[in-house]
Amino acid sequence: MKTVLETRGVTKQFGGLLAVNRVDLVVPENSIFSVIGPNGAGKTTFYNCITGFYTPEKGEVLFFGESLVGLSPDQITYRGIARTYQNIRLFSTMSAIENIMVGEHSRLRATWAEAIIRTPRMVREEKAAVEEARRLLNFVGLAGLGDQAARNLPYGAQRRLEIARALASKPKLLLLDEPTAGMNPNETAEMVSFVRRLRDELGIAILLIEHDMRMVMGVSDRIAVLDYGEKIAEGSPSEIQHNPRVIEAYLGKPMSE
Amino acid sequence: MKPQIKSSLNAGLTFGIVTLFLYLIGFTTTASQIIQNLLKLEPESKVLGMDALPFSFALFLGLIGLWAGARQARAMHKGQSVGVVLGSAVLTGLVHGLIVALVAYVTGSLNASGVKLNTYLSQLLPASVQLFLFDQPPATGAFLQLGFLTLTSFLGGALVYGLMASDIFGRLAAAWRSLWSRVNDLPAVAKFRASPAFNYVAYGLAAVFLLLLPLRAGQYWNYTLGTVGIYVLLGLGLNIVVGLAGLLNLGYVAFFAIGAYTVSLLTAPSPHGLVWDFWLVLPIGILAATLVGILLVVPVLRMRGDYLAIVTLGFGEIIRILSKSDALTWLTGGPKGVNNVGGPALFGRTFDDVGYLYLIFLSVLLAIFVTRRLQNSRVGRAWESMREDETVSRAMGINILRHKVLAFAIGAAFAGLGGVLFAARNQFTGPEDHNMMVSINVLSAVIVGGMGSIPGVIAGAFVLKGLPEILRELENYRVLAFAALLVVMMLVRPSGILPASRRKFEFQSGDESSNRGGEGSAK
Repeated sequence: MKTVLETRGVTKQFGGLLAVNRVDLVVPENSIFSVIGPNGAGKTTFYNCITGFYTPEKGEVLFFGESLVGLSPDQITYRGIARTYQNIRLFSTMSAIENIMVGEHSRLRATWAEAIIRTPRMVREEKAAVEEARRLLNFVGLAGLGDQAARNLPYGAQRRLEIARALASKPKLLLLDEPTAGMNPNETAEMVSFVRRLRDELGIAILLIEHDMRMVMGVSDRIAVLDYGEKIAEGSPSEIQHNPRVIEAYLGKPMSE
Repeated sequence: MKPQIKSSLNAGLTFGIVTLFLYLIGFTTTASQIIQNLLKLEPESKVLGMDALPFSFALFLGLIGLWAGARQARAMHKGQSVGVVLGSAVLTGLVHGLIVALVAYVTGSLNASGVKLNTYLSQLLPASVQLFLFDQPPATGAFLQLGFLTLTSFLGGALVYGLMASDIFGRLAAAWRSLWSRVNDLPAVAKFRASPAFNYVAYGLAAVFLLLLPLRAGQYWNYTLGTVGIYVLLGLGLNIVVGLAGLLNLGYVAFFAIGAYTVSLLTAPSPHGLVWDFWLVLPIGILAATLVGILLVVPVLRMRGDYLAIVTLGFGEIIRILSKSDALTWLTGGPKGVNNVGGPALFGRTFDDVGYLYLIFLSVLLAIFVTRRLQNSRVGRAWESMREDETVSRAMGINILRHKVLAFAIGAAFAGLGGVLFAARNQFTGPEDHNMMVSINVLSAVIVGGMGSIPGVIAGAFVLKGLPEILRELENYRVLAFAALLVVMMLVRPSGILPASRRKFEFQSGDESSNRGGEGSAK
């Protein structure tokens, strides 16, 4: 299987704090790879190192073998990585469909001059962009809500809209940051099958940060555990469930020691 | 104390203070005169046994009283009985009246005993004080005020209660809506609205209006409309920078100045003796402003919000101060400015006020066209996403720096065009044409009109530049009334007069359920 994302010894430091410490990961294509860990373990910082919002002090981030370190976030998006946020960050006054069309930005070519003249190419492209946005709305189950302002959508719909927006750039790797945060068990179950559909129908690799263990164990092909910025374990869901270091990180040491 | 009573006392106190404020600045007299003029009353004539001016004053005071009672009744009416609503209106009127009567009595007595109040408060002339007492002795006048304000307050309350109870506005609105939809549903009307002809007819009517207006309006209004038009142009440019891209630019006047100075220095006989043709200089002016816009934005690319505002504010001032500095007098003509700026000519005829107004209309239409095209494109969406959340916008693959430069450049181009037209029409440009107030006014027009909305910008420019002309009637109180109107407008419509509406992409087809049920649902 081809490797989509590989990190080698990625390290990010804030002053004296090692937020991410020598993390190695290999995400193969067409798979769901989860990163878990207690609060403050450095998961979101690790995401920011991949997407270019932080530059890691040490280490390499390779995307299909090409180094991403030093590239800006928009350049990284062009190469095929998209993400969602832990706290939903939609463009709140724009409509749902416009949010998705912003997500399509990196795939579109029209310049400002073309936009003013309305060249036939630009008109075609714009038409296709609206079409694609509608298709994505439908895909995430928001058909008919496209003209609503993003901030007026219900919570679950906002989560799904954020994923649709990320998918609009046609990414090869999707980074989801706690997609089930604040959801009830029913909604979480829906999200599990939805994330599976992303992998199976769209064939993209997914890197998932998640706290909800039912979701993580149910959906992941592989799991890595971070604690204090370090990767303390990696393996299949069942391996992780029985790993003593993971249990220790989450529950503390047994009394007898 | 019961909350109803407390609220009534508060309202009375507030209105008392407002009325007294208007009295102490002398506005009551001016307003009475305006009313007298509006009603075309002869100063010597009698109405209902009163002289014309005190009668006009009574009307003015009565309006305030009605307003106080109406407001209080509106605040109270939910879930309260008639008695409570009317009682609170009366109480408001009593408090209002007591405060006013007290001050009226004191100032009236002082005035009667020969104290010259206008040495302390310049607008408190003896005539004003007399008028405030309905031209009666202090005690009588004060009692009249108390009674009158209580009565009008009661009437206002009763009026509002009646309107609310009968829900007359709700019924009228419903009737209007049903009529409107019935007309719209007529097959012929619906067909007409859907056909392209509808747009052509609408545009045609607008074009005829714009063509005829300058011919009929007369020189003064052509000049005013021209100024409004140039502000619309500036507003449209700033709307791209602030309204769409969300970059708070307080030095927008800088680009306006560059356009104005470019045309001035290249077409005026002094200080450079370059008398180039206007039509050649017009694009040069726009280009110069655009280039300066790009140069200015480069150092501030990484700033956001307040920091950007402060730095751009500085830029605007730097350009103005440079333009009047002694060191640059050889280049810019210094504080005196540049006279005899050349204007456009077509077929050997120079432009008069009508010609200029046509040129300004044309520029505004061009700016609207460009803005609309950009707004509904990849570029416009990128700008708006930057305004909403710059960080996420970057994660969407948007090159923030490039789009910021683009927004500044296009905004500057519009301002440059505005500057060229302004200087050419006035045949003059000077440093004081480009002070900070221009930036502030344009920004206010954008905000008052509705950020990111083209009709909003036009409405805003009319309010900001046109309204002060209409308010000339109020003379000294023009700025006060203008400011009060702005405050009221922002309270009533906080997102602007004509806020931006979102473009619709999804057509609501009749069958909603089939629409939702497809492969889409995530269940």
